[in-house]
Amino acid sequence: MTTAAAEIPAVVPETRRVPRPNPRRKWGLRRRILLIFTLGALMLSVVLAFVTYGLARSSVVQQQDEAARGLARSNASTAAAELRGNPSSAQPAVDRLVELGVQSPLILYNGDWASGRTGFDETQLPLELLNRVISDGLASRMIVEIENEPYLAIGYRIQPTAAYFEFFSLENVNSTLSSVRLSLVLGTLITTALGVVAGSFAARRAVRPVGVAAQAAKAIAGGRLDTRLELTEDPDLSVLANSFNDMATALEERIDRDARFASDVSHELRSPLMTLSASVEVMDARRDELPERAQSALDLLKSDVVRFQGLVEDLLEISRFDAGAVRLHLEELLVAEFVRQAVRISSVPDTEVDVSERSEMVLINGDRRRLARVIANLIDNARIHGGGDPDVSIRVVDADDQPVSRVRIAVEDRGAGVPEHERTLVFERFARGGVAGRRAGNDGAGLGLSLVDEHVRMHGGRVWVEDRLDGGQGARFVIELDAEELDE
Amino acid sequence: MRHHGSVGTRILAVEDDERIRSAVKLALEDEGWTVDEAESGEQAIGLFNDSAPDVVLIDIMLPGIDGFELCRTIRRTSDVPVVMVTARNDTHDIVAGLEAGADDYLTKPFAAKELSARIRALLRRIRPTSPTHERLVFGDLELIPEEGKVLRDGDEVHLTKTEFRLLCELAENPGKVFSREALLDKVWGYDYFGDGRLVDVHVRRLRTKVEADPANPRHVVTVRGLGYRLQT
Repeated sequence: MTTAAAEIPAVVPETRRVPRPNPRRKWGLRRRILLIFTLGALMLSVVLAFVTYGLARSSVVQQQDEAARGLARSNASTAAAELRGNPSSAQPAVDRLVELGVQSPLILYNGDWASGRTGFDETQLPLELLNRVISDGLASRMIVEIENEPYLAIGYRIQPTAAYFEFFSLENVNSTLSSVRLSLVLGTLITTALGVVAGSFAARRAVRPVGVAAQAAKAIAGGRLDTRLELTEDPDLSVLANSFNDMATALEERIDRDARFASDVSHELRSPLMTLSASVEVMDARRDELPERAQSALDLLKSDVVRFQGLVEDLLEISRFDAGAVRLHLEELLVAEFVRQAVRISSVPDTEVDVSERSEMVLINGDRRRLARVIANLIDNARIHGGGDPDVSIRVVDADDQPVSRVRIAVEDRGAGVPEHERTLVFERFARGGVAGRRAGNDGAGLGLSLVDEHVRMHGGRVWVEDRLDGGQGARFVIELDAEELDE
Repeated sequence: MRHHGSVGTRILAVEDDERIRSAVKLALEDEGWTVDEAESGEQAIGLFNDSAPDVVLIDIMLPGIDGFELCRTIRRTSDVPVVMVTARNDTHDIVAGLEAGADDYLTKPFAAKELSARIRALLRRIRPTSPTHERLVFGDLELIPEEGKVLRDGDEVHLTKTEFRLLCELAENPGKVFSREALLDKVWGYDYFGDGRLVDVHVRRLRTKVEADPANPRHVVTVRGLGYRLQT
């Protein structure tokens, strides 16, 4: 493929090609929109959550910090006053503070420590804090962990040889922050979920016109050529709708024109055919008066007028199919009686119809005249290509203990048969190809078998060609149709 | 060469294509009919008044007065059997032709033998029903088969021969449902592959003449999926 493309560059004009989608991008538009919305919502909410968390934490911590510093400062001055009143030991000052409700005071006085609460002593204080308070004389604070709980330790130097320390629990800051965290995580999840919902909604909205257009295109392909897209107010979409509708109109006109042409041609052909067939009839009535050679010529003329007539009828019917103008006139038919009647008006009226006992009382739902044409065409085909008289048989497909649901009408001939690889080909219009070479005579298959195919398919059935059941040489054309038993 | 048509039965063939006209005339004469030719609707009307044909054969596509119009013109004064000939077997043309008053139609190209069979069916004498039923009365409708007359509320209704025969067939067995196929066989002489539209359009035409309210027929009643019956 690639080498061929390199050798023959740009044979097809650019405008006739619709650009192919990038093969690497396998995801559909809908998925991509959904993904963008989801990722967008996720990223946005995560960023917002982080920012919110940061702000919340600093504000909560700052509040707590200020409150603690205020308390510590006033407790420190209380301690200083106590020490001035009782300079011998720090313990009374600590006790006094505990009395006042201070949780965990700690005083360093003349090298001795006095603690107001067990577990909260000088060993819990980091060296750095001690140095800064005692040696540098700076009021300082640090966060420490005591028994896995966070505490804020604050220290003041209250006398040259005395320092006051206090621990403040940060428990409630932590619990506030953890509930903030929880609600932010929840918020993030909800926002992302909303993003998914909005994304899928937007994706559906975005893809809907495509879906509508696809359906319309399908309807047109299925033969409803008058299908059009509804015009919308949306300028972006109306471009699509307009050009789609223009295309559909152009297509319809073109198909119409083609179908009308075929139909006009066959109507025009009918007039000369009328003259031909009436004249041949007049000559045929005087056949005995003609010399032998003229008789042979008349026979040739007669049979080809018939063939010509059939071809024109088929062409007309095909043009009706192409124009989508075929309306079946369905009625319940007794298949056996129907096939016998159809055979009677075919080109080999004395063809024997072998009807199994079970299929004698079977109904099919069909268009009488069209199905008769199907039978007639199959018999014509057998007569022309099948080397002589065909055999027609009717059988129920279902097993004996099952209700009747399908029936097969088969036309067998004794011709060359149809080789495996040509078995679909023979149902194409004017299909001759290799088939004609092997088959007797120069009679083309024409439109007959393709009409058989179209008609049977319109009846919801199928048609195919296979080997003769008895293994002898020849073809077997089978029509299978839905059927039911006539209950009486 | 055998003559099937009764000699002396005149057919007026209206066809603008000269070659078709000549060939059809030859073939029909072979079948034993006497054929007058007309190449236009105008000429046909003149000939029709002069020669009083037994059957008229009209091609739908005519220059000037077309086949439908010609048929309606003839129908205004006559119940003569009319066979339409069309190059199109589209429903539209066929139904329009029948509604203009044609008794039957053929699609080109047809065989003269087939046309003869159709003409013979149209000219067939109306079988009198059993002699005890000289008059058949269905409510406001009165049928006199012997005289070929139909009265509604005592006034004579003008039916074409085919409409009359259709009514007689239904009247032969009042209340019985006749399928389209049965009527095609009895009235038009068609076998298994007749066109149901012939029956439907004729029933429609018949109703406009014999029913007080054609949209709500009381005599010629449709039996869905089965056919038609005559109701008293």
